[in-house]
Parts: sequence; structure tokens; C-alpha cells
Amino acid sequence: MFKKLIADSTAKSPWIYHINTGSCNGCDIELVAVLTPRYDAERFGFKLAGTPRHADIVVVSGPITTQSKERLIRTLAQVPEPKCVVSLGSCPRSCNVFKGSYSVEGPLENFVHVDVSVAGCTPKPEAVIEGLYKATEILKQKREAMKK
Amino acid sequence: MMQHFPVLAVMVLFLGAFLVEIFGSKSRLTRNIIALAAASLSFVFIAALVKPVMIDGQIISYWMGNWTPVEGYAIGIGYEIDQLNLFFALLVVLTFLLSGIYSIRYMEKDRHLGHYYTLYLMLSGGVLGLVLTGDMFNMFVMVEIMTFAAVALTAFRNNGRGALEAAFKYLVIGSIGSSMTLTGIALLYMQCHTLSMAQISAMLAKGLSPTGIMALALIFIGFGVKSFIVPFHAPAADAYAAAPTSISMIFSGMVNKAGVYGMIRIVYTVFQAMDLEPMSLLLVFLGTITMFIGVTMALAQHDFKRLLAFHSISQIGYVITAVGLGTALGITGGLFHAMNHTLFKGLLFLCAGAVLYRTGTTDLDKLGGLSKKMPKTAICFLVGAFSISGLPPFNGFASKWMVYQATYSKAVETGNFAYALVTVIAVVVSVMTLASFIKVTQAVFFGQLPESCENVTEVPLSMRIPMWIMSALCIFGGVCYGFVNKYLLAPATEAAINVSRYIDVMMGDGYAASYGVVDMTVAPAGFSYWDPLVWLVLFIVVLLAFCIVIVTGRNTRGEVLEAKPELVDPKYDTFFSGEESMHSHVGGSDLFWGFRTDWKGYFDFMQGMHSGIVNDYAIWAVTATGCAALFMFLFIH
Amino acid sequence: MTILKDLFYILVFPGALFAAVIGLLLAGIDRKVLARMQKRVGPPLRQPFYDFFKLMGKETIIPHAANKAAYLAAPVMSVASLMLMMLFIPIFGFSAFSGRADLIVLLYLITIPGVALIIGGSASGSPYAGIGISREMVTMMAYELPFIIVLLAVARKVGGSELCFSMQGIADWQAANGCALFHWALIPAAIAMLLVIPAEVGTQPFDVAEAETEICEGPLIEYSGAPLGLFKLATAIKMFVMTALFTALFLGGIRTGFVALDAVILVAICAVLTVLCMTLIHAVTARLKIEHLFKFYWTIVTGLALISLILVWLGL
Repeated sequence: MFKKLIADSTAKSPWIYHINTGSCNGCDIELVAVLTPRYDAERFGFKLAGTPRHADIVVVSGPITTQSKERLIRTLAQVPEPKCVVSLGSCPRSCNVFKGSYSVEGPLENFVHVDVSVAGCTPKPEAVIEGLYKATEILKQKREAMKK
Repeated sequence: MMQHFPVLAVMVLFLGAFLVEIFGSKSRLTRNIIALAAASLSFVFIAALVKPVMIDGQIISYWMGNWTPVEGYAIGIGYEIDQLNLFFALLVVLTFLLSGIYSIRYMEKDRHLGHYYTLYLMLSGGVLGLVLTGDMFNMFVMVEIMTFAAVALTAFRNNGRGALEAAFKYLVIGSIGSSMTLTGIALLYMQCHTLSMAQISAMLAKGLSPTGIMALALIFIGFGVKSFIVPFHAPAADAYAAAPTSISMIFSGMVNKAGVYGMIRIVYTVFQAMDLEPMSLLLVFLGTITMFIGVTMALAQHDFKRLLAFHSISQIGYVITAVGLGTALGITGGLFHAMNHTLFKGLLFLCAGAVLYRTGTTDLDKLGGLSKKMPKTAICFLVGAFSISGLPPFNGFASKWMVYQATYSKAVETGNFAYALVTVIAVVVSVMTLASFIKVTQAVFFGQLPESCENVTEVPLSMRIPMWIMSALCIFGGVCYGFVNKYLLAPATEAAINVSRYIDVMMGDGYAASYGVVDMTVAPAGFSYWDPLVWLVLFIVVLLAFCIVIVTGRNTRGEVLEAKPELVDPKYDTFFSGEESMHSHVGGSDLFWGFRTDWKGYFDFMQGMHSGIVNDYAIWAVTATGCAALFMFLFIH
Repeated sequence: MTILKDLFYILVFPGALFAAVIGLLLAGIDRKVLARMQKRVGPPLRQPFYDFFKLMGKETIIPHAANKAAYLAAPVMSVASLMLMMLFIPIFGFSAFSGRADLIVLLYLITIPGVALIIGGSASGSPYAGIGISREMVTMMAYELPFIIVLLAVARKVGGSELCFSMQGIADWQAANGCALFHWALIPAAIAMLLVIPAEVGTQPFDVAEAETEICEGPLIEYSGAPLGLFKLATAIKMFVMTALFTALFLGGIRTGFVALDAVILVAICAVLTVLCMTLIHAVTARLKIEHLFKFYWTIVTGLALISLILVWLGL
């Protein structure tokens, strides 16, 4: 009985940790804007967490630069299971206009398995919310699949 | 047979001191055996007195050389053990016995240990003699033995920084105190032609002449210097920090209490001055500022033992405030807190000594994360820290609660708002004490381990046993405090109030009545007992419910993952915003920035006042004596 | 038979289960009303329940530098002592366990969750946690002073010349003499208590100890999974306990005689108080820095409490 309750709650209370790996800040502003009164993602339970240890969904924006690669991997390792990685914008998908630069390592998929990818430069707030919502569904599946 | 025990207890210690000096330099084993044997024998003698004195209510009187009073005049040195004496004597013997056990391993790296044990036995003998004697000049002699042994022991590690300087300051201020005491005793002798406390108190029952008032002021200040209340507290900080830790424990546990015992005996019994409102106000005032200054100075320290020294000063302030109220509840609370202070402060000093023994430093800025290497010491330290902060179910909570209720009840009875403020200040001081120990916990035991402490291990067993004994007593005092009250505190409080019985036992029945001694009227204790057992049972039930939920929910909950020490996995690193975890320990002087900023003016002023120059401290001491004498002359008729 | 009854009191009502459920409900009300004040829809009222169960299902990672025993014991101590406090706070005349020294027991029990948070944070071994616990301790020092003065003032007012520290006694006095709030000498004390509540609970503008953006959640930084869930539960129960304490001290005159109805009224009053002293202040202010917080409590709030104590002392 409690297993179902916990699995349902995992989908209804996703806490977000945002990592900026070299983005132009456009997607970061859109992510924070999603939490403002106009779009209000908090009605689905989304909340920004201050530390990766509290996070369920990790939202990564920006192409993965050389500087930030190591820090990204270290931070992602510190997130407890079940976790979900969302790549925000087209930079983590394909590096967008920064592709081929001397300091850009590559798309996010080269380093970590991406669960949801929200495309756009910048994606519309509605798209961001839909992407996050899909992430909660994947979280619920991951929780149900966990051994305990 | 029984009446010889007190003297034997003291004599065995002095004899042991001489024997250690003669035989001790030859073999370490002989020395340890003689010292521990002397301490244990003394402990046994005092413990054997518990049943007749505390439980059956006898008072033991012993005249040295059988020089009993002649025609109503006391000419011999008398030892009188009533419940109050025995209460303090029990604390004294327990402290020095545990310190002796601790010293075996703690002092092994020092040289000249023969001298150390000699001095330790002399110090113990001096303090024990002080609390057992019934003769004023004998009291002074014991005070002197205690002071000089203490000064020598402070300077024992004279290869370290500051030991000689600390000893010098202690010597100067201690001597000023002793001189005051001697002058006061001389004045009393001039007036009463006798030195027996029992007879003097009978003779002074009629009222205090100006000589008597001066004597009271001088002796009171003399003992105040010994217990290190403000404004005589400055050498204490240096002395406790510089002395070897087993001796610091004795200082804060025994020497302080000897001063407190002296004050209680002088004010309550000899001068019967507790009825006088000005005397009560003076004691409460001194106690309150001692509490407050002690704890605020402690918050600014970054040396472990110096911090503990300032806390000792602050807790003695609690005792003096409670004793100064003049109510039965106040005396009980003060005595209880004195006992608890010996226990938890001794425990804290032993933990500080353990840290110093293993890491070689007590600087809070250089330590950290030691709970991983010294877990048992950490647990004992937490017991001591929670006791001193007054958290239930430890003993500090019970005694502090008694003190708060005593002050607030007195406030309501007399209608004097100042006592309500004293209650508020006392509680705030308690919270600041908690803050200070959180700081030490974070700086020393939790947090990140510096590289210099990588090879630290737990302390040896003979050092852990005294710590465990004291922790157990702390918990026992908090949980079963009704038991403690019935067998230890209530008899002692009775004895402090009941002056005529004290006199009659020594000088013969009817003596007190013939001089018109009237027992003080003391407000009865109206104490709302909180029942710790009920509270504990409830807590345990809730915890059990938790345990059941935790155990049955094991399969539904998320897993608990813990790093194995060899495993290098960023998952188990500290979160540093993605950086590699480096050594960045927040402790010691980094903590409580907001508090220290707000109080910057006060702390700057205080730092200026505590200049470290002994001339300043001496001026404070003499000025305080003058002010006290003036106050007493003006207000006591 | 009485053991079963006592167990019911301890575990279900008014103890563990009741405190937890109502606490989480009040936390939900706080979030919802805050959202409405900001012209948003906001999370459903059940959101804290979802948060709690989600956290139960996450895995707990104990970092290298942490002391495992203190790390795991701290949240349990925190929640257990709060649940225990509910047993001593009367619900308009019904009190599960009452003695003669309840107020003092409560005063000490209230410091235990704060100390547990500090020990837990300290045991995590993170420098951010070190800063967080330093601020938490200074916050505790700041609000304890006015809180004590308020308790002393109420004890004196109720007891007269013999102080009354018993919660049941305070409830009875208020049933006889009307709510304590209506005696105008205690109004400054009530305002002071209303200002102490957000600092105790740790909501803005007094949440500098857990400043999310600045020191990454402070003492809770290394916590994850079930221990974190327990700490969040502790915060929620603390909201309920503090508002219930305020009701018992100042609004205790209402009494219908039916325990169930009294409980409902209590929850309603607690909800109103939560909105008044926590949500409203949260919505309109920014976070105070630690030195300003300390100064605020030791000047303004203490001043209000002292005014009340002096007025009560003078017999008014």
C-alpha cells in the first residue's frame, strides 16, 4: 500500500536542481519564469532545491564546456535515486551555435543519459512545463522499478 | 571510631604526599601506587561517613588532641562534620580520585612526576581539610596549602607558553585573597578571643559590631577570590588553560567549590548574615554579573580550555546567585548546581585533556572532525555539553530549573522586579552556554578532519574510565534527582540553616540557647517537581514507535547508502557546488559572526579590560574589597 | 486499560499522528495562501504530504565526512520531541498529560528540535552546514529571550502571587476569567509571541539559517531521503505546536466541552494564526541578515515582552 503511495507522491512532488553548464542564461531565465505567477509550475509541486542532494529532476542548460564538464558529472553523481535528467534548450542537445568551439565538449548525451529533452532556443514556457511533466512520469516509473 | 575518620582522611593525603616525595623518584610504579592508595583510602574514609551523617543525621565533632572546650571556651582545633561539610567533602574526594586515575596515563610524557603527585596530594589534602574543619585559622592554613599547591601545579608544564605567567597571576591575586581572609580572621579573633567557628557564631548571634562587619567583608571577599567570581576571575582563565588538564579538572571541580563552601559557611553559619537583605542583594548581584560576564567572554574564546574556564566562572555565578537568595529552594538549587558543575565540568575538562593528549593542541581553529577518530570521547563530550546547557534529561537541567524557580519565587514573594530580571538573565545565559558548546562541538568533533589529525586514535582505557563514571553520574543526577534530593541535598540544606545544632554539637548542649542564637527563618521550598521519569517514559514510547516504523518500513523506503572509507566516489563527497571537496572547515573563530558583530562595542570593551597585566587585576581586587566593605557598612546595622 | 488509553494519547491523538497530519496540513495552507497572495494558483493543500512520502522513497546518501550516528539520530530526536510537546499542550481544557511545571518542560522541549537540527547539520561535515548552524544558533539566542519573558509574564498573570506554570492551570484560569488576550496588559506579549513564531519555525524573513540560495540550504545540505523527510515533517509539526501553544496561552477561554469539536476549533484558529504570522510576513518581506535579526529580536520584540512583564508585575 505504501509503495503505491510513495510512487504516486514521487510524481507529484518533483524538486528541481538547475545546472548551468555554459549557457547564455536565456534558458535559465525561462526556467525561473516558469515558476512565476503567470505560468506557475508550483501548482504541480515543482520547487527549486538549493542542493543536488534534495533534487529529483536535474535540469541542465547550456552546451557542456570544458570547464564545467567535470563539475557537472560530480554534481550529477551526488543526486540520490530516483533521478531524472532534463536537458533544457537546444544547447545541451546539439551545442546549437557553439558547436565546434574550442571550449565546448559536446552534447549532454555524451556524458549522461538524458531522460527528457526540451528543444528550442529558448523553449516556450509551455514546452518547458510539458517537458518537466514528462519527467515526473518517468520518475514515477523509475521509482516503481527500483528494487526496494 | 567514626569520629577519627575525617582527620584520617586528610592526614592520609598529606602522608601520601611525603611518601611520594621520598620514594617516588625511584620507581614509577611505587609512585602511582602510593598516590592512588592515598586517594582511595581518603575516599573510603569519607564514604564511610555517609550513612551516619547524611542518612542518620548525626553531626560528628572531633577535637584535636582531645582539647575539648574549657568553661565554655574553645581552645582546641575542632573538626565538625555536618551534612553540608560532608556534601562538599564527597564532591572533593570523588574529583581527586578520578583525577588521579586519569593522571596515570595523561601525565606519562611529563618529567618530574614525583613532584606532580606530591603537589596533587597536597592540593587534595588542603581542599579536603578546608571543607572538613570547624576552626577558622585551620581553614586559613588549608586555604594557603591549597593556593600554593595550585600555583605550583599551574606552573608545572613550565616549558609551555604562558604557564609561568598564569601561575604568577594566580599567585598575586590568590595572595591578595588570602591576606584579606587572614586580616578578617585576625579581627574576629580580636573580638571573640576564640577561633572555633561554632563559638564565634554563638558570640556573634547578638548582632554585628563594626569590627564584625569589616571582618565579614574581608573574609567574604577572600573566599570570593578563591571561587573566582567577577571581578577576581581573570587569573582563572589563564590558570585553567595553562595547568595540566587533570589539575584543571580539580581546579574547576574542587577549588572553586571550596571557595563556595567557605562563603556559605561564613555567611550562613558564622555570621548568620543571611537574614540581612543587603547581604542577599550583594550575593545575587555578584552572582548575576559573574554569570553574564563569564558566558559572554567564553563566546569570544578560541582556545578549548580557556573557554571551559570562562564557563566555570559563569556556572559558579549560578551557584552564588542561588545561594544568595536565602530561601531553602535557593540553597538547595545552589548546592545541587555546585554538585552538577563538578560532575559535568570535570567531564568536559577530561574530554579536553583527551583531545590535547592525542592531538597536541587545544586551539579550536586547528581541530576538526575528531568524532570519527575518537568516538567515545565525542559521546562523553556531548553528554557533558548537553548537561551544562541544561537540556533534559541530564543533571544540568534539573539544577538550573531549580535555580530559575528559586529566583522567580523570590521575585514574586518580595515583589522585587530585579529578581525576575535575574531569572531572565539566567535563562539567557543558559542559551548562550548552549551556543558556546555547539561552537566547540562543531569546531572540534564534527566537520572536516585536518591533515595534522589524521593519525589520532582513541585515548587509553584508564583515561576513559573516569569519563564514563562522570557521564553516568550526570545522567543519574538528571533522571533520579528525587533520590539525590532526599539523600544529599535536603540534609545539606537543613544543615546550612540549622545553626544552633551546629554550635551545640561542638560546644555542648544549651550553649547556643544561652547566647540567644535564633535559627534563621527561611522561606520553605515550594517546588513544582517535574517528573523526569514520566517524561522519559513518554519519550521512550515515541522512540519505540519510531523504531517499529523504521524497521517495518525497510522495504518500502529508499535505501541508506554509506561510503566505505577506501571508496573514492564523488557521490559521497561533500557538496561544494561541483568542485572537488577540499579541506574547508568552518569552526572556532568563524562561528557566530552575527552575534559578535552586534556586540562589538561590548567585546572591545571587555577585551580592553582583560589586559593581561596583573597590576590591573590586583587593582580590581582591592577596589572590590573596598566597595564591598563600604556597602556593608552603609547598609548593615 | 489506562495503558491503552495512554498509548492512544501518545500515538494517535493528540500525540504523533494528529500532530503530523495537522502540521502537514498547516504547511500546505501556508503554501497555498502564499501562492494566492502572489496571484498564483499554488500547490494543492495536500502538497506537503506528497513531499513527505516522496522523500521517504528517495535513497539516503551518507557522505564521507559525516558522523553516521548523529546524522541519522538528529531528525528522529527532532520529530520525537515535537510529538511529545503536543501531549503537554491542552486543547481547550483537554490535556493528555499535565503536571505542575509544564511551561518549563515546554520551554526546554522547544529547544530540542533546534539543537537536533544543529547537531544534524554539524554532523554532516559540510562547511555550508557549519555556517548554517552558526546562524541557527544565533537565531535561537535571539528569540529565546523574548519567549522566556512572555512565558514569565503569562505565568505571573495567571498565578498571581503563586506562579502558575501548569498548562492545565492556565486553561482553567482562562475559562474562568476570559481569554488572556483580552487582558490588555498581555497584548504586547501576544504580539511578541506572534513575532517569535516565524523565527522558531524558520520561515522568511527569519530563515537566514536555511537560506536556500545563499548557503545551499544550510544545515540540511547533505541530507537526502528519509532523514530529510523527517526534518521537513519536524518543521511542519513545529508550525502546529507553536500556534497551538499561542492558542493555549492567550486564547484558551473558548471551551465547548466536546473534545472533537474543540480540536476542530483549535485547528481553525491555528490555521488563521499561521496565515497571520507566517504567510503574511513571508509574502511581504525579504530575508533579514543575521545581525539585523539578532538586533530586531533583542530590541523590539524583547521590548514588547518586557512592557508586558512590567505591566503584569505592577498588577495590571
